[in-house]
Amino acid sequence: MTLIHSPTLDTPEKSDLTLGFLPLMDCAPLVIAKEKGFFSEAGLNVQLSREGSWASIRDKVMLGLLDGAQMLAGIPLASTLGLGSPKVPMVTAFSIGLNGNAITLSRELLAEIDELGHHPSDSSAAGLKQLIACRKASGRPKITLAMVYTYSAHSYLLRYWLSAAGINPDTDINLTVVPPPQMAVTMKKGLIDGYCAGEPWNSVAQEMGIGSPVISGYQIWNNCPDKVFAVLESWHDAHPATHQALICALIRASEWLDKPQNSDEALEILLGNAYLGPALSMLSQPKLKQGNRHFYRYAASYPWRSHALWFLKQMRQWQQLKEPQADLKQIACQVYRPDLYRSVADKMKISHPTIDFKPEGFHDDDWLLPGSAGVVTMGSDRFFDGGTFDPNQA
Amino acid sequence: MTTIQSQPERVLVIDKDTSRSALLEQALTDQGYEVICRLHDTEGLIARVEQIRPDIIIIELDSPDRDVLEHMATLNSHIPRPVVMFAESGDSQTIQKAIKAGVSAYVVDGMSPERIQSIMDVAAARFREFQALRNELNDVRSELEDRKQLEQAKRLIMKHQKCTEDQAYSAMRKMAMDQGKTMTQIAKNIISVLEMLS
Repeated sequence: MTLIHSPTLDTPEKSDLTLGFLPLMDCAPLVIAKEKGFFSEAGLNVQLSREGSWASIRDKVMLGLLDGAQMLAGIPLASTLGLGSPKVPMVTAFSIGLNGNAITLSRELLAEIDELGHHPSDSSAAGLKQLIACRKASGRPKITLAMVYTYSAHSYLLRYWLSAAGINPDTDINLTVVPPPQMAVTMKKGLIDGYCAGEPWNSVAQEMGIGSPVISGYQIWNNCPDKVFAVLESWHDAHPATHQALICALIRASEWLDKPQNSDEALEILLGNAYLGPALSMLSQPKLKQGNRHFYRYAASYPWRSHALWFLKQMRQWQQLKEPQADLKQIACQVYRPDLYRSVADKMKISHPTIDFKPEGFHDDDWLLPGSAGVVTMGSDRFFDGGTFDPNQA
Repeated sequence: MTTIQSQPERVLVIDKDTSRSALLEQALTDQGYEVICRLHDTEGLIARVEQIRPDIIIIELDSPDRDVLEHMATLNSHIPRPVVMFAESGDSQTIQKAIKAGVSAYVVDGMSPERIQSIMDVAAARFREFQALRNELNDVRSELEDRKQLEQAKRLIMKHQKCTEDQAYSAMRKMAMDQGKTMTQIAKNIISVLEMLS
């Protein structure tokens, strides 16, 4: 099968770039775009900088020490709103894949839930709800669950799963942040009882024998978005052609990554010490696509404004965003830029969605969306509790 | 409105490099600040910060624990918040300098911008100084390593060609000039080839 060809794009305003990433499976599109030459074919000389925290990525992008970076989808939205950081508008025109997360609970906690008579095949938090009540009645300390960052898909998936069972994530449990590489170790020491994180950190806990995934992110919300590639809005305004070249290279890398015949090579590249080596070496058989991860399939790299709106609604629901007058739709449109994606995809002659918003929770199976040049196959978008999200009524 | 500081700011330094944090503690103490704790191991970080109640936290920029601190700050107003939140336009140079030096800070409400700036400047200067020392040490180390390899390569040639030290050295010089390579590269090649033969 032939890969997407490299189109003729405008000459980038800036060719020497530094992009930030965190050592997680979904840094793959950035790493592959560099190592397989997609950046250089787009006229870019990219250095990748491995960072230690999301806060570090955000600060360095804000101060111009990084041109752009892999980010949790909540970060450009929170930065534009001034949540937890100065108000600095960011934009994204590229989503880094779908799925790949899971909720893992410790062996001890699962044993306690089991004793209450809840079957392990029940992936809801009903057993956890009952355990919380029992612990409260007997005066035992609250359960502590961790996520990777305050404004992250992990945070909202975990909150969604808990609240569907009637658990208030802000009062019934302690909700804390633990950096992903420390998750399994922190749980082993008994400091947390479970967590929501991306791969490889759920597989690591399982291989260490200290816990098991109870529900995947995919099960909570089929084909949910997770991370994006983002830049400052001012950076985009000053470097529109460079941004286009970056999007083009990243789309090509995503398509390359979703070809089954490339997954061994991709893993080999990611295992390099500069990338994911230390994390993946903890696994006997690391898998690129653990947890139904897609990089390109189902329009995975398209920056849906409805996804941004879903995250913003979560921020408001959980009192992170306290301004009732904030126009969420306007923020979603300011930060998420499918128009930029479309202009690059047109030059690459690939079919892409022509709409900005789509409803969620209405498809149990693959479905077809009319695209710019032929239909685009979309994946199911079901929520585990049967919930729906209609961006037009949000 | 200015508040009169009767007590020195209580500083918490979080750094896995204990020699760097010792250097920073000394510098801050010299400036009249009270370094109440240096953490190199951040297990149970939340409990410790709540117990220590620092006015300012100095932490290396790349530390994964920054995401933990930022989350704590959203839950509890007593917990120091990212210094960038307090930045007036005039301070951004201080912050940029600090970030370039690899250091970040978290401060509580009500600390005077001058004091924040002064602490951050001290921290940035120490981080830079420490980096310079480390680079120097690495240079010296690799220089020593190069010299060791040159010696080893020379000895291998002497043994194989049964020649004098001067002759071995001249042979290596000639190889380096002919092949347009450095003496260290030539020494490495010789070692790998001759060790395979012997």
